[in-house]
Amino acid sequence: MYKGTSASAGIGIGTAVIVEEAELVIKRETVADAAAEVERFKGALDQTMKDTEALAADLATRVGEKEAEILQGHLMLLMDPMLTGEIENTISGEGICSEYAIEQVCSMYASVFAAMEDELMQQRATDMNDIKTRMQQVLMGVKSVDIASLPAGSILVAKDLTPSMTAGINPANVAGIVTELGGKTSHSAILARALEIPAVVAVNDFLNQVKNGDQVVLDGAEGVVYVNPDAAVAADYAAKREKFLNEKKELEQYIGKPTITKDGVTVELVANIGKPEDVEKVLQYDGEGVGLFRTEFLFMDRNAMPTEDEQYEAYKTVAEALKGKPVIIRTLDIGGDKEIPYMGLQKDENPFLGYRAIRFCLDRKDDVYRPQLRALLRASAYGNIKIMIPLVTCIDEYREAKALIEEIKAELDEKGIAYNKDIQVGIMVETAAASLIADIFAKEADFFSIGTNDLTQYTMSVDRGNDKISYLYSTFNPAVLRSIKRIIACGREEGIMVGMCGEAASDPMMIPLLLAFGLNEFSMSASAILYSRKLITNYSVEELQAVADKAMSFATTKEVENYMREFVAALK
Amino acid sequence: MVSAKVTIKNASGLHLRPTGMLCNEAIKYQSSIKFVFQGNTTNAKSVLSVLGACIKCGDQVEFFCEGPDEQQALDAMISLVESGLGE
Repeated sequence: MYKGTSASAGIGIGTAVIVEEAELVIKRETVADAAAEVERFKGALDQTMKDTEALAADLATRVGEKEAEILQGHLMLLMDPMLTGEIENTISGEGICSEYAIEQVCSMYASVFAAMEDELMQQRATDMNDIKTRMQQVLMGVKSVDIASLPAGSILVAKDLTPSMTAGINPANVAGIVTELGGKTSHSAILARALEIPAVVAVNDFLNQVKNGDQVVLDGAEGVVYVNPDAAVAADYAAKREKFLNEKKELEQYIGKPTITKDGVTVELVANIGKPEDVEKVLQYDGEGVGLFRTEFLFMDRNAMPTEDEQYEAYKTVAEALKGKPVIIRTLDIGGDKEIPYMGLQKDENPFLGYRAIRFCLDRKDDVYRPQLRALLRASAYGNIKIMIPLVTCIDEYREAKALIEEIKAELDEKGIAYNKDIQVGIMVETAAASLIADIFAKEADFFSIGTNDLTQYTMSVDRGNDKISYLYSTFNPAVLRSIKRIIACGREEGIMVGMCGEAASDPMMIPLLLAFGLNEFSMSASAILYSRKLITNYSVEELQAVADKAMSFATTKEVENYMREFVAALK
Repeated sequence: MVSAKVTIKNASGLHLRPTGMLCNEAIKYQSSIKFVFQGNTTNAKSVLSVLGACIKCGDQVEFFCEGPDEQQALDAMISLVESGLGE
C-alpha cells in the first residue's frame, strides 16, 4: 500500500497506464541555412498555438472556462514577441537548430521565474517548461501522449500531469489518477474533482513501484493506492466502489423530495454561496433556496468600489435563477483582516473585535451601505430576496439599518422603481451579545440565521486558527449549545424563521440536536444537501427530544461529542 | 516621443492576466511602447518583459511611446491601466 494526498474522492480500479513524456534529447546542431531554420521554427510555433487553442476550447466546453484559463496563459506566452524574437535571434545569430534555441531561451526564462519571490510568478516556470516541450515535440515529430484515446478502465500514473496532458482526460476512459507530485490544489487535482474522477497525488517514488499493465486500486478519499493487490484487498475495494457508487445513486433519489421528518415536520434545506456562478451547484443538488449569499466577492480583488448597478446585476442573477425560492443575501462583512486598498480600512489590532461588517457599513452609508442596499432592493423585484445584517450586537444597529432601508424604499417609490415592498430584513446571530438579547431582536427582526463559526469563536473567546487553543473551538461545547438552543427558542416564540448557516448545519452529529431545538432552516454547502435530506427524513423530531435533553445534561464538550457520536453510529 | 506616468491599481500587481490584457492592447499599435520603473525599461508588448518587471500594486511607472501613432498608443495604455486592466 502506498500513501499519498487525497485529491478527489471515489474508488478507482483499473489498469495502470504510465504517462510519461518521451525524453527529448536536445543537441546543439549547427544549421547551414539559418533563414530557413527560422521559418521552420515559425511553422512549429504556429502549429503549437493552434494545438493549444484547440485544447483550450475543448477544455472550456467540457469542463469550464476557469479550467481553460491556464492554457490561455500559455497562448499569451507563445505570442510574446520577446520570447519568439529571442529564439529567432539565437537561431540566426548562432546558426543553430530551433530545438536547441528554444531549449536555451525557454529554460532561461523558466529559471528566472522560478527564482522570483512571488508564488504566482513561480508558477510561470512550469508554464514555460510546458510550452517549451510542446514546441520541441512539434519540431521533432514526437507525439504527446494522447490521453483521450486510452482504453476504458485506465488508471493514469504520472510524475505530474501538465496542463496540456490533463486537457485530454475523460471519465469515460480514465478510472483514476495517481501522480508522484502535486497537491490538493494543483491543476490535475482540481480537474479530477470537476470531472469526478478518483485521484491520489503526491505518492512518493510511485513510478518505481508500478509498471504498465499492473492492476491498480486507489481510494481517493483516503489517499491510498495498491499495486497488484491480493484477492482479498481487491474484493474489499470492489465492494467499497460499489458502495460509493450506490450511495451516490441513493442520494440522487432524494432530488425533488421534500425535506420532512417522519413525524411530519418540514424544514428548509438551502445552500451557502459566494458567487453567482455557485447557483448552478445549488440547482444540481436540489437546494430549496440560498440561506447565505456572501457579498464580499463583489468587493475583493479589484481597485474600485463596485457600482450599484454592478451589484444589482449580481443579486438579480441569483434571484432570477432561484425562481422565487428564498435567497438570503448578507450585506458586506469585511474588516481590517481583509486587504481592500480602495476601502481605506486601517489594520485593526483585533480585526474580529474591530471596525467591521455592520459597524463599518453604518459608518460608511453614503459610499458603501446605501448603494448596496439600493441594489438589493432593486433586485428584490426579480425574486424572493431577503436582506441579512451581519455582526449585530445591539438593537440600535438593526434599527439604524432598517431606517436606512425605509429611506431608500421611499426614494424608490418616488422614482417609480420596482422592488419588493414586503422584503424581509433579518439578522445573523453570531455574537454573544445578539444571542443574549435574542428575545429582544426576535420582536423586530424578520428572521434569524445563526452563524455558528463566529458564534463559537465569540462565545468561547477562541481563535480557531491558533493550533495551541483550537481544542476549545467546538460547537458541541455546552456553552455554545445552550446559546444555540436559546436563540432558536426566542425566534420560535415570536414566530419568526430561525436558520443556521455555519458548518454545524450539515454536521450529522449536530442535525438531530438542531431538529429537536426546532430549527427551521439548514444552510450548507450545496454538495451536503442531499445527504442531509436523507438524514432529516429518517428522524422524528418527537423522538429526538430525549436525545437533545440527554446531550444538554452533560458538563463537557467531550461527553456531548461522545454521546452524539454513539447515537449517530447506532443508527447505521 | 510622448510620455506619461500612471500608478498600477491591481491588488496583486501585474500578474499574468492583467499583463496579457496590457500586451494585447500594446501590440495593436505600430509605435514602440515601453515603460520605465525604477530605472529599468520594459517592453509593454512582451508578456515576459512585463512579468519580469515585477510591478506591484501602487507602483508608479512612466510610459514612453514613439512612432506614427504614439499619442493614441499612450492614451490607450494610460486609460487601460487606470481602468484596472479588466479586474
